[in-house]
Amino acid sequence: MIDLAQNTLDGLFLGSSYALLALGFTLIFGVLRRVNLSYGPAIMLGCYAATWAHLSFGAGLLALAAIAVLCTTLAGAYVERLCFAPHRQSSAIAAMVASFALWMQLEELATLALPRHIYDFPPLYAGAPLDFWGLSLRVESLVMLGAAIAVCALLWWILYRARFGIAVRAVIDQPNAAQLAGISVPRTFMLTFAMASAIGGLAGFLIAASHEQVTPMLGMWSTLKGLLAMMLGGLGSLPGAVAGGLALGLLEAHSQWFLGPQARDLIAYALLFLLLAARVPWMTTRSAS
Amino acid sequence: MDDYAIGVLTNIGLVSFLALSAYLLLVAGEMSFGQQAFFGVGAYAGGILTAMYGWPLPLAALAAMTLGALAQLLVGLPTLRLRGLYFAMATLASAEMMRILFELLHFQRVVDGDAVGPDGTQGFRGIRWVFEHGVEPIEYLAIVYALLALALAGFLRLERSRLGATLRGVGEDAELAAVLGVDVTRCKLGVAAAAGALAALGGVLFAHHNTYVEPRNFDIMLGVHSLAYALIGGLGTALGPLLGVVLDIGALEGSRVFQGYRMIVFGGLVALLLVWRPRGLLDERTVQWLKQRFS
Amino acid sequence: MAQAALFLILCLVPALASAQAPKADLACKATGADFVYDCTIRLSRGGKPLVGATVTIGADMPSMPMAHNVKPVKAQAGQAPGEYRAQLDLEMLGVWAVKLRLAGPVRDQLILHYEFDSKGATPAQPTRHAPAMKH
Repeated sequence: MIDLAQNTLDGLFLGSSYALLALGFTLIFGVLRRVNLSYGPAIMLGCYAATWAHLSFGAGLLALAAIAVLCTTLAGAYVERLCFAPHRQSSAIAAMVASFALWMQLEELATLALPRHIYDFPPLYAGAPLDFWGLSLRVESLVMLGAAIAVCALLWWILYRARFGIAVRAVIDQPNAAQLAGISVPRTFMLTFAMASAIGGLAGFLIAASHEQVTPMLGMWSTLKGLLAMMLGGLGSLPGAVAGGLALGLLEAHSQWFLGPQARDLIAYALLFLLLAARVPWMTTRSAS
Repeated sequence: MDDYAIGVLTNIGLVSFLALSAYLLLVAGEMSFGQQAFFGVGAYAGGILTAMYGWPLPLAALAAMTLGALAQLLVGLPTLRLRGLYFAMATLASAEMMRILFELLHFQRVVDGDAVGPDGTQGFRGIRWVFEHGVEPIEYLAIVYALLALALAGFLRLERSRLGATLRGVGEDAELAAVLGVDVTRCKLGVAAAAGALAALGGVLFAHHNTYVEPRNFDIMLGVHSLAYALIGGLGTALGPLLGVVLDIGALEGSRVFQGYRMIVFGGLVALLLVWRPRGLLDERTVQWLKQRFS
Repeated sequence: MAQAALFLILCLVPALASAQAPKADLACKATGADFVYDCTIRLSRGGKPLVGATVTIGADMPSMPMAHNVKPVKAQAGQAPGEYRAQLDLEMLGVWAVKLRLAGPVRDQLILHYEFDSKGATPAQPTRHAPAMKH
C-alpha cells in the first residue's frame, strides 16, 4: 500500500516535468498549429549554456535558471524566425521539417561546446528528502510540481485576463479576422513562441537540477516526453497538457515499479497508440495536419 | 574504388530504401515517423533466417519483405482513419514499441559451436552471409544498387500509370477521391504493404552489409531522417528522396571539411532551402517543368 | 571405408569451424588531438594469436548507423604476434561500435562496443536508448 502511494507521488512529480514540457509544445501547437521539433533541442542548448556557466564561473542556481531560460528563448526565437515565420501562411510540413533540421543543428552546437556524455549540474536542493507519514518527498519534486501549477496558472491569466491573451485567442480562432482587426499575427506568433521557449527553459533547468546531471540525450528525451504528454492530454489544450503530463508520469512510475523500465516505455507508447487508434474524442478533435 | 567510397555508396543505397518507403506514404497522404521499425523487422528477420537457419539470402529477403509488409499492415489497419500529426504520432509510438520488443528479443541457436542470434540490447552479431559466400564489398554494392534500380523502375512506372495518379489524388484530397469512386481504404493498405516491404528490403540488405544489428540502430533518428530526405529531396518524383539521401550522406560525408560541423552546416542549409522550396527540391512543379523542358 | 572417412571429416568440420571464430580485444589511448586515438588490436583465433591478417578498423555510432562514418584505416602489424596498431579518428566522444574487418587467413567482421572518453576507450555494453534519469 505504501508502495502504491509512493509510486503515485513519484509519478505526480515526474509528471510535472512532463507537464511543463507539454505546456510549451501545446502553446506552440495551439496557437501556430505547428509542431516544433526543435523544442527539446532548444531546451538542451539552454541547459548546456547553464552548465557551461556553472563550469566556467560557478554561477549560482538563480543565475543558472536565468541563463537557461534566456538561452532557450534565444534559441527558440532563432527557430521561429527561420522555420516558422517564413511558412506562416503555407506548408506546415515544411515548417516541421525545417524545425527538424534545426534540431540537428542545435544538438550539434551543444555537443560541440560540451562534448562529454554526462555533466554534473548543481542540485536544486542539497538536503535530504522530507519524510511524510513514511512517504519520501523530495523537495525538488515539490518545486517542480509547484512550477507546473504556477506556469499553468500564469498562462491562464495571460490568455484570459491580459490584453495580449485576447490577441492570442483571436489569432487561434480567426487568424484572418484578427489580422483585419489590427492584431499583428506574426508578432503574436513570435511572442507565443518566446513564451513557450521560456517555459521550456525553466522546465529544462528544473529537470537538470532535480536530476543533478545533463546529458546529450536531453534534447530527444524532452521532445519525446513533451509530444507524448501533449497527445495524451489532447492536442492543443493547456489543461490537457498538464493532465497528460501528470497521467504519463503516473503511468510510468507504476509501470516501472511493477514491470521494469522497458515495460514502462512500452506501456506508455501502447496506451498512446490504442487511444489514437480508438480515435478517442478528447484526443482527436483538433485539426492537426 | 577504395573501401571507404564503397561503404559510403552502399550506405546511400541502403538508406534510399527507407527514404523511398517514407516517400511512398507521403505521396499517398500519410506522414510516417516509424518506417525505421520495418527496416528493423527486415534486418532481424533476414539475419535470423540466414545466420541461424542457413537460408539463402534471396529467399530470406523475400520472407523479410513479406514480414515487413505484414507488420506495416498491422500498424496501418487500426490507424486508417487518422490524419496528419495523429497518424504520425501513432507511427512513432508503434515504431518505438517495436524497437523495445527488439530489446526484449532473446532468441539464439547454436550454429557451428557458437550461439548465434538476437540477444536483446547486446544486439545480433555474426550475420556472416557475405563472408560465407565470398561476396566482396563491391559485389554487394552492385546487389544493393541493382535492387534499388528495380525499385526505382517500379516507382517511375507507377508515376506514369493511372494507379499513380490515383494515389496522388488520394494523397491530396482523400474525400474527393472517395467521392470520385476510389476505394481509399484499399489504396492506403496497398501503399502500407508496399512501403513496409520496401523498408524491410533495405533492412535485410543493411543487416548483411553490417554483419551486426542492434535495437539502437532503429531508433527515431533514423526514421525522422529518412522522412526528411523525402521531404527535402522533393515529393514530385521517386528520385527526390534519393536526392535527399545523396545530399546528406554523400556530399557532406565526402567533403570531410565539415567534420564535426556537418549538422550545423547541413541543418542550417536545409532550413534555408525549405524557405525557398517548401515542397523540397524536386517538387511537383519542378518535375513538371523538367518534363516539359526535356520532352 | 571412404564413407567412414567422409563421415569423420564431416564430424570434424563443425569442430574446426567453431575453433576458427576470431576474437578481438581493443586498447586505445587518447592522443592530444581532438577525438584521435592510438589503438592496439589483439586478435586471436582458437586461443592462439592471429598473425598475418589484414585488419581494417572503422567505427559507427549505434544510433545513427549510416551517418557518422569514420574513415576506415588499415592497421599495421604491431610488435607482438596477433597485435595490430591503428589510429582512429572519431567525430565525437561516446559509445562507438568499432568495426574490425579481417582479411587474409580468415575473412570476418567483428563489432566491439567501446566508450571513448578524453583518456581512452573502455569496453561498453550496448545500452538502452532511453537516458537513465535519476528518480
